[in-house]
Amino acid sequence: MTLRLISEGAESKIYADDSFGVPLIVKARERKGYRIEGLDESIRRGRTRKEAKAMCKARESGANVPGIIAVGRFSIFMERKRGKMLKDVRFGNKEMRAAGAQLAKLHAAGIAHGDFTPANIMLCSNGPCIMDFGLAGIGGGDEEKAIDLLLMKRSVEKPQFSSFIKGYSAYANHKPVLKKLADIERRGRYKARTLQTV
Amino acid sequence: MGIESSAHTFGAGIVDRGKVLANEKSMFPIGTNGMIPGKVAEFHSSNALKVVKAALDRAGTKLSEIEGISYTSGPGLGPCLQIGQLISKTLAKTLSISIAPVNHCVAHIEITRHFAKMRDPLVLYVSGGNSQILKLSEEPFRHYSVLGETLDIGVGNMLDNLARRLGLNPAWGSSVAKAAERGKYINMPYTVKGMDFSFTGILTFAEKMAGKEMPEDICFSVQENAFAMLCEATERAMFLTDSAEICVSGGVAQSRRLKEMLAQISREHGARIGYVSDELNADNGAMVALVGEKMLESGFKARLSDCVIDQKYRTDEAMVY
Ligand SMILES: Nc1ncnc2c1ncn2[C@@H]1O[C@H](COP(=O)(O)OP(=O)(O)O)[C@@H](O)[C@H]1O
Ligand SMILES: [Mg+2]
Repeated sequence: MTLRLISEGAESKIYADDSFGVPLIVKARERKGYRIEGLDESIRRGRTRKEAKAMCKARESGANVPGIIAVGRFSIFMERKRGKMLKDVRFGNKEMRAAGAQLAKLHAAGIAHGDFTPANIMLCSNGPCIMDFGLAGIGGGDEEKAIDLLLMKRSVEKPQFSSFIKGYSAYANHKPVLKKLADIERRGRYKARTLQTV
Repeated sequence: MGIESSAHTFGAGIVDRGKVLANEKSMFPIGTNGMIPGKVAEFHSSNALKVVKAALDRAGTKLSEIEGISYTSGPGLGPCLQIGQLISKTLAKTLSISIAPVNHCVAHIEITRHFAKMRDPLVLYVSGGNSQILKLSEEPFRHYSVLGETLDIGVGNMLDNLARRLGLNPAWGSSVAKAAERGKYINMPYTVKGMDFSFTGILTFAEKMAGKEMPEDICFSVQENAFAMLCEATERAMFLTDSAEICVSGGVAQSRRLKEMLAQISREHGARIGYVSDELNADNGAMVALVGEKMLESGFKARLSDCVIDQKYRTDEAMVY
């Protein structure tokens, strides 16, 4: 295997690999020196498993998500998508609407993404592909879903968010989530906070 | 002069152009019971003048030389905050000097940033009632904006509660640290949500373990998980904001184990970590004086009637000068 480091996040390193004849991505959770070993292992193992599970479930829901090829103890091998991250390109209402439709599929399947920002969406030839399920939760309530909307809202312009919500409305249960979003925004904690994205 | 009285400590500090001339305090004896706000306030009011006088003596100065006064206006315990407010307003009025209300959390952060000589660091603020990750922001005014924070109680209060529950004396986070030195690891909850974290899960779990597991093992494991959670959220914020400097302040910044963990992050990512001495990390008057001096120097003016207290004064509501 010839692993090529392509991205480094706070908890994982992303490598590209071509030695199997198909373009692969390996997402590997790194050992954290500040955590004692037993704890560190169980966290990394648990999160790797949880992320893989959320990705599989997301794919079953019909959302555009990289296909998983194998799951190791601390790493996920997945299909490498081609495209540019949404945060790095100029995008318009069409892309936003499509991204909203993707989130609608996730939420309909009971998946809250947990970090739904333009830094984790790739624009591919077949539309936006959702990545990084590292903070995803399965079976959560409207609150978790509303946080997905909130993060996106804080990351894009107003008209873009309106298009996003048009796409999102494909989710049958979208109304209570939008109501929850308004509630959260009214609460002090998030009002004062600037939710930043990479 | 700065007066601090938000919780168990009554402090009076004197600074002159960013230099600490005096930092005197008296602390409510916590015992094994914790704090009842009214009792603490009573204790403060009987000690206040002694502490103010000690600060003047230490700085080798007189009341008539004091050019401005500041006090902690929140967050904190109402009755305790009132004592500091009252003394400061009295001094301001009798000496005809300017007065400035100061946010307690901002004071903790600012004294660390000042002495660590950091311009725009990522801030990990860890104290009794609060635990936050912040960064300076200019919009809509200069303030510390919150990137992540505890979803329930502060890490310090969690440790104090644990100490009380385990019957440690004093019922204090430092007793937990001491017991932890002999402990070994048992599994505990670990809750980080992005850059937010939560401590009640650990506390409830640890309380259930009391009597079943050795107290030192409980203390050790609670510290390991709680501090690692803080480190993880900080690390995430570091990546997000591209910060190479971390300013760590508040009472819990005195913890040796937390410092060790942060040193590890520093080694792994080449970040510089800034602390102040334990004396300045604990609640104290000098930090209030330092912020007060900055405020008054930049022309801050307040009428006595504007000098209120706010028990729930949020860090991100306070203007930074
Ligand atoms: N399946 C994939 N195909 C192509 N690029 C990917 C894939 N997965 C991740 N990446 C790239 O790696 C970056 C980081 O991945 P991500 O899963 O978001 O990790 P992190 O948890 O560190 O944010 C992405 O922004 C993207 O550029
Ligand atoms: Mg990501």
